[in-house]
Amino acid sequence: MKGEYKVWFGSVYLRNSEVEVVKSDNLVESFIESRCVKLPFSLKNVALKVFPSEDEYYSELRKTALMVAERKVEDELKSSDRYVISLLKALDELDLGINLFSEKIRDLEEIRTGDEIEEFRRIVRELRKLRKEIEGKVNSEAAKLMPNVTELVGGVIAARLLERAGSLKRLANMAASTIQILGAEKSLFKAMSRMKKGKKAKTPKHGIIFQHPHIRTLPKSLRGKMARFLASKLAIAARIDFYSGELKEEIVEAVRKKYEELKAVTEGR
Amino acid sequence: MKLEILEEVTTNVFLAKYGEKEFLATKSKFKSHYGEKKYVGLREWIPYRSKLAAMIMNGYRLDLKPDMKVLYLGAASGTTVSHLSDVLERGMIYAVEYSARPFKKLLELAVERRNIVPLLKDASKPEEYAGIVERVDLIYQDIAQKNQREIFVKNADFFLEEGGEGLIMVKARSIDSVADPSEVFRRFLSELEEDVPIIGYGKLDPFHRDHIFVHVSDSERLK
Repeated sequence: MKGEYKVWFGSVYLRNSEVEVVKSDNLVESFIESRCVKLPFSLKNVALKVFPSEDEYYSELRKTALMVAERKVEDELKSSDRYVISLLKALDELDLGINLFSEKIRDLEEIRTGDEIEEFRRIVRELRKLRKEIEGKVNSEAAKLMPNVTELVGGVIAARLLERAGSLKRLANMAASTIQILGAEKSLFKAMSRMKKGKKAKTPKHGIIFQHPHIRTLPKSLRGKMARFLASKLAIAARIDFYSGELKEEIVEAVRKKYEELKAVTEGR
Repeated sequence: MKLEILEEVTTNVFLAKYGEKEFLATKSKFKSHYGEKKYVGLREWIPYRSKLAAMIMNGYRLDLKPDMKVLYLGAASGTTVSHLSDVLERGMIYAVEYSARPFKKLLELAVERRNIVPLLKDASKPEEYAGIVERVDLIYQDIAQKNQREIFVKNADFFLEEGGEGLIMVKARSIDSVADPSEVFRRFLSELEEDVPIIGYGKLDPFHRDHIFVHVSDSERLK
């Protein structure tokens, strides 16, 4: 067996049956850079060639892991909001592009067929593929950043709420009623200005969260009720996500139950 | 009122009684980590918060030895890890969690304890920690992901010591959100069995609805 393995404490070289270990002089760096296939040797046995004892090995390992973790966790917390938002924007722009090209193809087809159409089609196919990948990424990153909100409404809607709010911190500080109409500000302010003038007006029932099947599939008369309930749970979910980050199953259960209740009302009629 | 020990479930894990209250606990000199109560030398282990505690409460026994090495996938904020850390006095827990926010809490725990190596990594990419984690006696997985079976098998291939064991917590809804849970579990078990021998499994109700645990052993087929 031959090969070089970048382990956390340096490099391990295998030559036939010889094992050579070079300890890194910067353990934090080698820890961060370490990436390996499945090791064909015992990591700890090899380590004991360069560490005086098992205790010493574990204490160095732990110290290094803690230092790296502390650094990484702060970086992640600072950038993950923006990452999800920029992924969502990329997704929206891809949609725009796909629509634009698809329209072009239709226009061209009406006139004549030709090579350039095939080229456009190829591009659209590629864009669709990319779109799928980005959508998967939005879902997984949203689940990582806000597991409870994502569990309730899915990655894309969760990301859209985040985009509107600006950050998870701001979303977590929002009242349920604000979350309920997030994305329907225009309609809200229109209604408010009408009211100011003493005219009759209806405030919107829902904004972004309307896209959620639990609301969309209910009859108009019940959508407000569902939207209010979902928004109240979203507000709680966002707070758990911001302050603890652990998944709480009960919230999703409650929303599903409410939906089924309301659904039963419509079917009972 | 006085504290009464009813049973030593496994090393450092006790079924205890205080007044009318019966509870599971680990022997611990550390402070409370997630809001659990402390009794003289014992830390309450809440089955509603920890699936491992739920498994024990439901009567399943796992032999935990104080010098075990554990790879823990999906450590979250360290609720269960904190109790494992109590139990494995002379062991080591490699705690993998990919989400930064709960990881921060886990980090507090790892600073306080001496037997936790915290890793902010994705459990589906063992290559990223193959140069850090040694061979272990137990792989514990609680990641609630659709492809958790593949992730477990991959990690077992990388890290499970010969004769080692695995414990997998499965949530029906994260594998298939619409199918009947018992059907989901049946499928999961039969697919898992192709890769690793199953020693035992059981429900985590009423503590965690529609969840099961699966206890597996290391397999020659992996090697």
